Parts: sequence; C-alpha cells; structure tokens
Amino acid sequence: MNHNPQSSDGKHDDDSALSDFLASLMDYAPTIPDELVEHYLAKSGFQCPDVRLIRLVAVATQKFVAEVASDALQHCKARQAAVVKDKREKQQKDKRLILTMDDLQSHCASIFIGVWK
Amino acid sequence: MSHGDVKSTRDTIKSENQQRLSPGRLKADEFGRAVSKIAVAQICESVGFQGFKESALEALTDILVCYLCDLGRNASFHANLAGRTECNLFDITRALEEWEASHGFPSASDIGHCLVGSGTVREIIRFVGSEEETPFAQPVPKFPIHIPTWLPAFPDPHTYIHTPMWNERASDPCADKIEQGRQRRKAEKALLQLQQRLVCNGSSGTSASLATDAEKEKVQGGESNPFLAAPLQPGEKDVSLVVSPAKLTDEARKGDHVSMLEPFAPAIEAMKGGPSDGGKLHLPEKRAAVHFKFRTGKKILGEPLDLGLQKKGERGTTAFLRNEERDDKKRRAEFILRQTTEFPMELNQS
Repeated sequence: MNHNPQSSDGKHDDDSALSDFLASLMDYAPTIPDELVEHYLAKSGFQCPDVRLIRLVAVATQKFVAEVASDALQHCKARQAAVVKDKREKQQKDKRLILTMDDLQSHCASIFIGVWK
Repeated sequence: MSHGDVKSTRDTIKSENQQRLSPGRLKADEFGRAVSKIAVAQICESVGFQGFKESALEALTDILVCYLCDLGRNASFHANLAGRTECNLFDITRALEEWEASHGFPSASDIGHCLVGSGTVREIIRFVGSEEETPFAQPVPKFPIHIPTWLPAFPDPHTYIHTPMWNERASDPCADKIEQGRQRRKAEKALLQLQQRLVCNGSSGTSASLATDAEKEKVQGGESNPFLAAPLQPGEKDVSLVVSPAKLTDEARKGDHVSMLEPFAPAIEAMKGGPSDGGKLHLPEKRAAVHFKFRTGKKILGEPLDLGLQKKGERGTTAFLRNEERDDKKRRAEFILRQTTEFPMELNQS
C-alpha cells in the first residue's frame, strides 16, 4: 500500500516513456523491414494491426541479433589477439573481422539446442 | 564446421539481390530468407564485422527467423490465454521476457510488477536510443503470397481478374426495336421493288416469247398436234405457263388469266397506296400451273408460291379471288393434266 503512490508515479513514468517510445518508433526505421517481420509473425499466428508493435518486434529482433553478433565479434577479436600474441615476429595479418561458425557456436550453443546440426 | 566462402557485406547484398531477382518460382521461404540474410549482414556490419563466412551467415539468418517465429508464437499464446485473438504490447512483453528469462534481464526478479516497466522493454528503448539508425539496404517489395510449388500455377490473370468495362455505346432497347423495324421495312421495300422489276422484265420477255412461238407454229404447219397448233389468243385459253414461266402480261390479268403479279398485287398496291391497308396484304391462295417457288419469308408478302402441276389444297388465307375463279382454276389445271397424260407421244415427238 505504501508503494502505491510511488508505483503509480513510476507507472506514469513508464507509461509516458513507453508511449513516447512507441511514438518515436514510427520515425525510426529498423534494419529488419516491416514486411519481413509481418510475414514471419503471421506465420506463427501473431495478429496485430498496429504498426508500432511490428516495429517493436523488429527492433527487439535486431537487438537480439546484434547481441549475438557482438558476442561473436568479441570471440573473433580475442582469437585474433591470441594469434597475434603468439606470432609476434611475423607480419601482422590483415585484421579483417570475419564472422565464422566457431565464433557463433560458442554463444549460440547455449541458446539453441538442436536448432541446427 | 567452418566452411564456406568469406564474403563481405556488399558482396552478400549483391549476391542476394541477384538471387532474389532471378526469374523462376522461388521456394516457399526463399524470398523471406534472402531478405533476412541481407538484414543480418547489415546488422553485423553495424556491429563491426567486415566479412563473414557463408555458413555463419546462414546460421545467423536461421537464428533470426527462429527468434521471430518464437516471439510471434509466444505472443499469440499469451493473447489467446487472455481470450483475445489480437496481440497487444503486453503479449509481446511477456514473450520477450520468456525469451530473456534464461539470460536474465533487469527486473526479472520483480514479481507482480506492471509490464509497462518491464526490463526488456527498457532495454529495447535503450538499444534504440544508442544504436544509430540503419535502414534496410534495399526497398522490399510486398511479400509474395506463399504458395507451395507443388500446387498448380494460377491461370492467366485476365481469366479471373475483373476489370471495369467501359461500354461507350449505351444500349437503348426501344431505340433498338425501332431501328430494327425500320430496317425490316427497308428490306421489304427493296424486295418489292425487285419483284416489280422482275415483273416488268417478265412482261417484256413474254411478248417476245409469244411471237417466237407463233412463228414456230406457223412454220411447222397444220399438224394435228395440239401443241403445234396456232397459238391461242390471250383470253381464249389458259396458256400453259410451264412453257414459259415468264409469261406474264398486264393484259393477262383480265379474265381468267392468272398472272404472277396477282400474288403481289396487294403488296404492290400497298407500295403505291401506302402501308395503310394491312388487312388486305395477305396472299391469295396459290396458283395452279406455275413452277415458281418464291419464298420471301415475310408474311406481308404472303406465303410462298408453290405452284405445281397438281392443284394443292386450298389455303385458309383471306382470298382475294371469288369462288368462281377458284373453280375456273381447278378446271384449267385438270385440263392441262389431261392433255399431258393423253398425249404423251406427241410430247416426245415434239
């Protein structure tokens, strides 16, 4: 009961933040196009006429994939650093960061069990 | 499991575009996967990668598709649980929380809190605020209707797509009927004129043929052959119109002579007098001794003239002729018949 005024204030803040965010989503163009998101959501039974929620899902997916990629990047950088450390005499190889399955597996294996072989 | 070629982001996008724009029927989800690949490549580029292996890209695309489907499934599950068919923000938030539950997210341990203040959403807000906007590289057309390839192809669109028809000509049934009647009358007039011309030609031909017959019979002399006898004067006897079907004169109309004009007399009178007397425009009954079939098909011109050697039954039309004339005709027809049957030899000889 004591929390009520606080929570209600918090709720109002959250509400306003959320509503602002949803409004701002209309200006933001996520990397994943709306049509693609709609297609896959419709396939799984998601039905929503609101474009903002579609955008929200797109943004959430983008965030997720970005997290996975950044994790892989960390792994890749760490690997390259290790290689360079070992072969300091030799000329440094080009530091192109390439996404490989090895980098992905370490992160994804914990999430996806049996998603792909 | 590191196989596949190394590709840079631009190469991936180019190859995917080529793949996408290639003609032919794509598999069910090829288009979606191709678009997802481009999106994933763009995200990786924004993260900091400069190139990726093909297999790794495929795997990440799979992850994206799997994530989207799972999110949609969970959100719709929560919506159905609440007795709704359409998902709303809270369904999505719950689905997000479920996904993140294994990794933990801020405020995950709060129970009974309003979903509006959910940590996942806040994280997303933070992410949107921090990330720079990178819109999708290519314009995405409207997603194609996914029809399995094992189904037969659609028929040509013109067979089932209804396009508006612009009928410039307004159809007016009354005007059409009037026009039709006018054209019929025109045709009848033309037909009557033709017949009149025929009659005139016939009459001029008749006198010529009569003269030749007379000459012939004079040359042949006085044989007892009635067929070679001198021609009868018009009016004495009924001329066998079998000999010359064009023997029609206006003088022949007098008396018992039956001329070809008679059936058309009403029509001709109508032509002269105007189409006022419609009742009289019925044909007299058919003639006796003329093989002349004239079918017009129009009632106004009367029934077809089927005049054979045999006298056919009387027709029930309103007859112009009186009964005496009809009897005369009968007698004449019988006489001719008798002549042909009694003197077959003469016929052969001549």
